[in-house]
Amino acid sequence: MVNYMKFAFLCKEKPSSNNIKVAIIGAGPAGLAASGYLSCKGYEVDVYDKQPLAGGLMTFAIPPWRIPRENIFSGIKELEEKFGVKFILRTKIHSGKPAREEGDEFVEKNIPFEEIIDNYQAILITTGTWTSKKPPVKGIDAKGVYTAVEYLYRHRIYELGLTNEKPPYAKKVIVIGGGYSAVDAAEQALHDGAESHLVYRRTIKEAPAGIFEMKRIEREGVTITELASPLEVIVENGVVKGVKFQRMKLGPPDESGRPKPIPIPNSEFILEADLVVFATGERATPPVSPEDKEALNKIGIKLTKWNTIEVNNRMQTGNPKIFAAGDVVNGPSRIGPAIRSGLYAAKYLDNWLQAKLLKPIPSP
Amino acid sequence: MSTDSSAQNIREETEKPKYLRIIDLGKCIGCGSCEAVCDFIHDGTAFIKLYRTSIGLDIPISCLHCRKAPCIDVCPTSAMTRDSEGAVYVDEARCIGCMACLYACPFGIPELDPRARVSIKCDLCRPLRAMDLEPACAAICPTNAIVYGEEVEVFNTVKKRVAEMFAKTRFETLHEGYKP
Ligand SMILES: Cc1cc2nc3c(=O)[nH]c(=O)nc-3n(C[C@H](O)[C@H](O)[C@H](O)COP(=O)(O)OP(=O)(O)OC[C@H]3O[C@@H](n4cnc5c(N)ncnc54)[C@H](O)[C@@H]3O)c2cc1C
Ligand code: SF4
Ligand code: SF4
Repeated sequence: MVNYMKFAFLCKEKPSSNNIKVAIIGAGPAGLAASGYLSCKGYEVDVYDKQPLAGGLMTFAIPPWRIPRENIFSGIKELEEKFGVKFILRTKIHSGKPAREEGDEFVEKNIPFEEIIDNYQAILITTGTWTSKKPPVKGIDAKGVYTAVEYLYRHRIYELGLTNEKPPYAKKVIVIGGGYSAVDAAEQALHDGAESHLVYRRTIKEAPAGIFEMKRIEREGVTITELASPLEVIVENGVVKGVKFQRMKLGPPDESGRPKPIPIPNSEFILEADLVVFATGERATPPVSPEDKEALNKIGIKLTKWNTIEVNNRMQTGNPKIFAAGDVVNGPSRIGPAIRSGLYAAKYLDNWLQAKLLKPIPSP
Repeated sequence: MSTDSSAQNIREETEKPKYLRIIDLGKCIGCGSCEAVCDFIHDGTAFIKLYRTSIGLDIPISCLHCRKAPCIDVCPTSAMTRDSEGAVYVDEARCIGCMACLYACPFGIPELDPRARVSIKCDLCRPLRAMDLEPACAAICPTNAIVYGEEVEVFNTVKKRVAEMFAKTRFETLHEGYKP
């Protein structure tokens, strides 16, 4: 009975090494599943991550009551000890000046992306979505306003004993959003003993987290307000005091297929809070800044307007030796889709390298 | 023919230790990792799939490997059969793609392979088990919601979880406000 995440589920032990070095950037579920596959194929796998531990958002955002930590860590330990995967942690890979992203607290070393490209036969990028979207409302930069990932990250690193700094606590917490991060943040506040209030601009029927989850946290004690959208964060002496909301009604479906929330004029109301969490989505963070067009061109990587990495149907970027997978390609998704994408990318990477090795060297 | 396979259906039951897979919905968080690995090892066809229900809860659905499997009983060519560890699987060379198994299955599990035109379903990862590995979905599940093992072991694991839950509830009612 396997009672942990067995990333190397396709082989009993690592076959003899083929002495081909591949690098994986990002040790979330996509990168870990890919390392399991590639080590079962005999590759020498080096996994880089900016965090002090592997696991990505599973370790640093998702609460341990959803996924028991030891299930993730035992799987990682097995990759390391039994399958020879090397984890190079606290190391951020970036081209040019490293961009400031969420969860950079523990970075001790920066390695230029170009150096990794030169040192490995193939590279897989699985860097996920480590920057959060915040709506452009007044007061958003006040003390006491967090993104869901920041808020949950601070809790996780404290629990894991990685810092002595206590995570943000408050008496009254407002969480804005309707996805899993919103549910997790609202439940976290409740666990911390706060009055927890979740506000969503549609109704729970449309919430990506689903009615079941919303009703579950409501039963636990979270107050839920539907059909309201933030207009302004109320700030006093630089510290958050509350949020001004506007009521919404549901209109015809928008481009997401869900009914579009339409503001109701003169319906503003204020909710008091001493901590506000915006769980309003994350954005892809490739190891090259989206603004750095020159580096992108030189390396041969194209980004979409959402900063996700463009890949072909074999999950290859514009540079044939660089593959990409997981949320940095698909945008925020779930562990399953990230694993699926990591596995396919690993298989295509293997196919590409094997085809390259078989090809006769062209005579001069 | 159907009585033959029915007898075989039960006879095999009593031979060596049988294995079982249970999906514990109390633990499942709907992450889709099970579907992901199954899809990958079968080149794009998953035999465990999540369905988003009307209340927004995602439920993984896969073959239950019934001990008195109606699909085995109804199969006219004995293509639907059971291996020595208890898994119900399709012997593709015998299958004529009539889908009688699908009609017989109370859970709507068998599907028609779009290319080979034979019935396909979960075989509890026969190729991996032949290598002494666990079924992929059970191996990857982050929450241990998929319990796979010898029958007795599975039954006990599931009951132990219920015992833990009862103990926790009883403890919490007696010591209100205590956080272990
Ligand atoms: C609060 C929250 C709750 C969630 N709850 C669930 C849930 O219940 N179920 C579910 O299925 N999904 C959930 N998700 C989504 C799920 O966590 C992600 O879809 C999944 O982790 C994506 O995997 P990934 O490997 O692509 O990226 P990630 O898990 O984000 O991993 C990326 C890794 O890359 C590293 N990295 C990034 N940039 C660099 C760099 N430049 N150099 C080096 N390393 C770098 C990061 O440190 C990180 O470890 C949740 C997400 C959040 C935010
Ligand atoms: S992998 Fe486990 S937790 Fe995730 S959906 Fe499947 S059964 Fe549920
Ligand atoms: S046991 Fe194997 S074939 Fe069956 S659902 Fe799980 S991964 Fe798929």
